[in-house]
Amino acid sequence: MKKLIIILSLFVCLFAQAKEYTVKEIPMVHLQDRTRYVSNPDGILSPSSVATMDSILYALEQKTGIQTLVVAVTGIEGGDCFDFAYRLGKEMGVGQKERDNGLVILLSTDERCVQFATGYGLEGVLPDAICKRIQSRYMVEHLGKDDWDAGMVAGIRAVNGYLDGSMENIGGEEEEDDTAILYLLAFIFGCVIFSCLIVAIFGNQCPKCKKRHALQRVSSHEISRKHGVITSEVTYLCKYCGHRHVTKEQSSDPNFRGPRSGGGTVFMGGGGFGSGGGGFSGGSFGGGSFGGGGAGSRF
Amino acid sequence: MKKSTIILIAVIAIAAIWGVSAYNGLVKMDESVNTAWSNVENQYQRRADLIPNLVNTVKGYAAHEKETLEAVMAARSKATQMTIDADNLTPEKLQEYQKAQGEIGSALGRLLAITENYPDLKANQNFMELQAQLEGTENRISVERRNFNEVARTYNTSIRTFPKTIIAGMCGFDKRPYFEAEEGANKAPEVKF
Repeated sequence: MKKLIIILSLFVCLFAQAKEYTVKEIPMVHLQDRTRYVSNPDGILSPSSVATMDSILYALEQKTGIQTLVVAVTGIEGGDCFDFAYRLGKEMGVGQKERDNGLVILLSTDERCVQFATGYGLEGVLPDAICKRIQSRYMVEHLGKDDWDAGMVAGIRAVNGYLDGSMENIGGEEEEDDTAILYLLAFIFGCVIFSCLIVAIFGNQCPKCKKRHALQRVSSHEISRKHGVITSEVTYLCKYCGHRHVTKEQSSDPNFRGPRSGGGTVFMGGGGFGSGGGGFSGGSFGGGSFGGGGAGSRF
Repeated sequence: MKKSTIILIAVIAIAAIWGVSAYNGLVKMDESVNTAWSNVENQYQRRADLIPNLVNTVKGYAAHEKETLEAVMAARSKATQMTIDADNLTPEKLQEYQKAQGEIGSALGRLLAITENYPDLKANQNFMELQAQLEGTENRISVERRNFNEVARTYNTSIRTFPKTIIAGMCGFDKRPYFEAEEGANKAPEVKF
């Protein structure tokens, strides 16, 4: 029994030491936090260089819309660096869907390889020869000395140098938001038209003698003013039967400056439809596709 | 009109609607197989376009490796003469095409093997980048081949399953061939000293 436990624990140690990741097992940090791009599950890279790379790549995406995924692991399943990087890009859908401008940079320390995989849309601005040149000039020398931080940061800087300004960020995500706002506006417009119709048909009806267009507003006074909503009591007088009709009405307070900068009550919350301003909300990959572009180097 | 006539007409109408939509679906799939095929051909063409440049670069350093260089050019010219129209893609033609392209592949392999003996050539920036392009192209070829097989498999499955097989049989949709694994890919590489 003891032997069995020892053997089992040896096995566990063996697996724990050289973990070979499959594509699905790579944690996608970008999906939890839109400002992060570097997946570093084994802690190969130091936190400070991860932060440097993240900030470069975040600025790059803001400017150009190019989405990058950097993965640094100790080992990959199958041992084929190109195939792994390609599948990472394809299965995660790195890059915007319309422009296929995704880039995957993979470092595997067991395979001793660094691999770039470019989406279809990046093959022009970042051709294979340039990928190779970046690797051989800036990365391989450091990586050969196991200086993962220096090699990766230099590589990311060089990639950024080539890609910065290569295209404009005409984000696909924002387009979707635009259509959402358009639908919302159309819906509101429809509601307004509908309520106008209701008022035209049933409005102004005296509750007593049932005659239409009979009520005249005589007086109103404010009861309360809460959260930008004014509630007031309005008195109407029927011009036919002389019936006095008193109702409570609510309207928006034009002087109210609440936590939201939106206009009136109807448009409350209208400001919240932007593509999430918060720094810690999850990001997403756009679904770009890959055709096998890119280059790899061994060190 | 009798009730049975109405039912008959309704059944025929439904069958016709189904037939049309099934036919259109097959046409769409057929087109996507054609697209996948032309992507494969494009990538092979891309590799063929790289070869003259590569051969010239190697010539500058290793002019006396004439035999190997000529073998690459010969394989290239043989393979580029052969293009297959996607519509008459038969298993025999695909095999022939694959064989011709495979010859380029092995000739290139020999060429790259002899470059190992020329350190100056290996350090040449131009050569390094050409090699990177060649590798990238090989990767693209394998991606597009895989993609072609996938698309062709979906198409073949749907023309052979009931009830679409009826429409496929009537309108002459034929089975498409697949790329086989490269000949010799499963053999261990030969090492000579």
